[in-house]
Amino acid sequence: MTSTERIQSTVLSLVETVNINGNMKEEYEKLAQEEEAVNLRLESLFKRQCHIEGKLRGMTKVLPNLQIVHSDAQQLAEMITFTSTLAENVSAKVRQLDIARSRASDCQQRVHDLLDLQLCAEGVKASLHSEDYEKAAAHVHRFLAMDQHLLEQTADIAEDCTNVTNSFSLLQDAASQLRSVVNLRFDEAVRAEDLASVERFFKLFPLLGLHDEGLEKFSNYLSTKIADTANGNLKTALSTQASDRRANIIFADTLTLLFEGIARIIEIHQPLIETYYGPGRLLRALGPLLRECDVQLRRIVAELQRCRRLEALAQAARAAQAGAGPRAEGEEAQEGAGGEVRQLDPALGELAIAHARYALFERFLRRRLAADADAGAATDADRRARLLEVDAALARGDTCRRMQELLSTYLGLERLFMVQSVRKAIALDALDDAGAGAAGGLCSSAVDDVFFILRKCIRRAASSGSLDGTCAVINNAGALLEEELCSALRARLRQGYPSGYLDLTQAYNSVLAGRLQPTDSEQQRVLFLAALNNADSASEYVETLVKQVSDEIPVSTPMERSKLDSCLHGLSSSTSGIKSVLDYGIQQLRASAVKPRVGPWVDSFQSVSHQLSEDEFTAYEADQPFVQTLVRNLHGLLENFKESLTPGNYDTLVTILTEEVTIHLEKAVFKTSFNRLGGLVLDKEVRALASFLTSSTSWSVRDKFARLTQMATLLNLEKVTEISDYWGSSTGPLTWRLTPSEIRQVLALRVDFRSDDIKRLKL
Amino acid sequence: MEDYKFLFKVVLVGNAGVGKTCLVRRFTQGLFPPGQGATIGVDFMIKTVEIDNEKVKLQIWDTAGQERFRSITQSYYRSAHALILVYDISCQPTFDCLPDWLREIEEYASNKVLRVLVGNKIDREDREIPTHVGEDFAQRHSMYYLETSAKEAENVEKLFMEIAAELMEQARSKELPRYENNSPTINGRTTVIGDSNCCSRMS
Ligand SMILES: Nc1nc2c(ncn2[C@@H]2O[C@H](COP(=O)(O)OP(=O)(O)OP(=O)(O)O)[C@@H](O)[C@H]2O)c(=O)[nH]1
Ligand SMILES: [Mg+2]
Repeated sequence: MTSTERIQSTVLSLVETVNINGNMKEEYEKLAQEEEAVNLRLESLFKRQCHIEGKLRGMTKVLPNLQIVHSDAQQLAEMITFTSTLAENVSAKVRQLDIARSRASDCQQRVHDLLDLQLCAEGVKASLHSEDYEKAAAHVHRFLAMDQHLLEQTADIAEDCTNVTNSFSLLQDAASQLRSVVNLRFDEAVRAEDLASVERFFKLFPLLGLHDEGLEKFSNYLSTKIADTANGNLKTALSTQASDRRANIIFADTLTLLFEGIARIIEIHQPLIETYYGPGRLLRALGPLLRECDVQLRRIVAELQRCRRLEALAQAARAAQAGAGPRAEGEEAQEGAGGEVRQLDPALGELAIAHARYALFERFLRRRLAADADAGAATDADRRARLLEVDAALARGDTCRRMQELLSTYLGLERLFMVQSVRKAIALDALDDAGAGAAGGLCSSAVDDVFFILRKCIRRAASSGSLDGTCAVINNAGALLEEELCSALRARLRQGYPSGYLDLTQAYNSVLAGRLQPTDSEQQRVLFLAALNNADSASEYVETLVKQVSDEIPVSTPMERSKLDSCLHGLSSSTSGIKSVLDYGIQQLRASAVKPRVGPWVDSFQSVSHQLSEDEFTAYEADQPFVQTLVRNLHGLLENFKESLTPGNYDTLVTILTEEVTIHLEKAVFKTSFNRLGGLVLDKEVRALASFLTSSTSWSVRDKFARLTQMATLLNLEKVTEISDYWGSSTGPLTWRLTPSEIRQVLALRVDFRSDDIKRLKL
Repeated sequence: MEDYKFLFKVVLVGNAGVGKTCLVRRFTQGLFPPGQGATIGVDFMIKTVEIDNEKVKLQIWDTAGQERFRSITQSYYRSAHALILVYDISCQPTFDCLPDWLREIEEYASNKVLRVLVGNKIDREDREIPTHVGEDFAQRHSMYYLETSAKEAENVEKLFMEIAAELMEQARSKELPRYENNSPTINGRTTVIGDSNCCSRMS
């Protein structure tokens, strides 16, 4: 094979060059590999040769068939072209026929119109004469529906030209005569309060092409009805006795009557309007009615503001908000506002109801107007334009603006109410007797009361039907939790937990019953623990409140949902403020109740010798005096708090107690000398302690014993070198919590270990 | 859950008609809305941006400038991380009202809130407030300052991106709590609970 020869000769020539470089063997191997690859490829190419040849043979056989197909296709194409020309010829004729037919029908229409013109002219004269306005209007309507311009043209060419022109002018005269008659009669009917005639003539306007005038007149007429009713209602409202069951919400009721009255009128008359005027005219028809609504609403709202002293209350709101910075201590601050707060509650309820009714009314109007705009719209663009017009008309209205202002007043007052009520609840905080000895631990009324107030205010805001309003109240509630509740709890906790021994249950009972005058520090302890528990339960209250509100408040769009959710999210984040207050309190408790007592208890460890003989060891092991006393003391301390703390706070207490005990015990160990048996004792003591504390809580505290356990293990070694069983690569899962230098320090506590051995350890 | 590391609340305030809604729409939807009606209450929009390869979620609250919505809009100040105070450079009264707005901010917002003054509508020929006057005002009240045009999309992206970057910087330096993926606890200003705290309920 030539390629092989070529390769060989290349190899030879390469050999020389490669020789120079000394890489001959390597190069040769590379080439040999290449050769093999080339051979393989050649082989595979050869294998495919016969396959390809087979294919080629197949193709040559099929070739003649192609020719036949080609000529068939050509024939088909010709046939199709022929058919299509034929069809086009036929359809052209049909089109011509169609045009001719439509001209004929136009002609017919014209003839009809001409005939009708005659008829109408005669008819209208007769019916006007007999005051049959319906018939006359029908004739005029028929006349107006004709293409008057075309008719005039026809008249010019028609033979009987005068006849047509006569009818024409006669009808035009009749139309204008009828227009003024209908106008006149309508006004007369209105003056006479003759509802039947009002409706009778109302129906005639559109026949005479007077749609807008008819709607305007009719709507004006309906407005006077609204005005009369509203006047009466307002008078009744103003003369309502304070003792009346609905006196508190009489203005909301009056507004409701106004809205209902208008809604009822729309309900009754919309079908009439639609039937005689066609769809798409409701917005126009409602114009005067809505303007009357503005007028009446303004009067009612003015009375509401006057009678409920909203201005004065709002002023108080602003004043209170201005001083909302640091919480005003002392009762006097609360007293002044107390009266206002009491007055606020009913006023807020009324305002919320008033806005809720407006929200309903507005939704009703929007729905009706949108449906009518939809029905009246010719195209999509037209529909969009009409809907925008509806939105703009509603937003522009005085009613809408005034109700937004009223909502604003409501929100300002609601804020005042919330601030003042929360402050009052905190100021009047009382211990909760239901909490005594129950599983919940000590609690006081403030937290319960505060969350009751917040829930009430948020619910009331939600009842106003305004999501923006509801969100504002939710935001304000979050602010209040941090500004009022957290700071009150923090202030209480800042006063600290007076140390010293006490019987909490007894102190608690005496505070509660007011029998015994408890000592100041006893009372302070109880209040401190109540604040701590309050902080713990407040977090849970927040979560519950958020969940309830989220479930209760209706939202209609995903946008509204996410708006509400973001605001609720803000509210629930006030828990982090509460948690930091709780942490602060726990640190106080640790410093004053845990640390000072645990110290001396643990320090007695040093007074027990840990260099024991066998006999001493046996004697000591029998009753383990140190650890038994310590456990008894710890148990006493925990029992003292157990009843008084919430489960959460109690678990936290066990945790900090464990920390204090282990920290102190570590220190004590470092100050003690051990022999092997002493180490063994320590090991048992640590175990006893750990098992006691672990059993005291549902949380895991064992980890906090890790260092002590390791110290005990070290002090329990037979020889220094034994540590290699625990330290180094063979140690397995044991993670050291002690640093190498600490390990040496611990080992040095063993009197029988030589310091040289310890120094020599490789750690 | 959602894939973002930081969540910030940005609240826009300022007189009616200064272009707050247009600025927000330009930034969130990239358009200048024709025939923009006055905002009713508060509108709410979300946009996630990327800064230094970190996803930052901006919660943008577009408040109504009209007086009668004040009691609604005020309630959003407290939890805001950034407040954008907007005026119209072609309308002196909107600039004259700035001290009133600052008073509101002082009263209701956290003192740590990032405050940005924005002079909008710089595309207009009839400017009434020169740039340096706006700048001076901002400086005197220690606010950031930027001039924008929602119409011509000028500085709008920059406005929000710089706010996001600044807030992220603050959050990183622990002035603000950090929001982890699964626990998006928003907390405007209360103390951060450190991990080292012995009493936090863990383990
Ligand atoms: N020339 C110009 N016009 C603007 C610009 N931004 C807003 N506008 C116009 O200003 C008017 C008010 O804009 P909005 O965005 O609705 O104002 P707003 O501050 O949201 O007003 P409220 O919602 O009532 O508080 C609209 O007609 C806008 O077209 C701008 O950058 N340049
Ligand atoms: Mg707006």
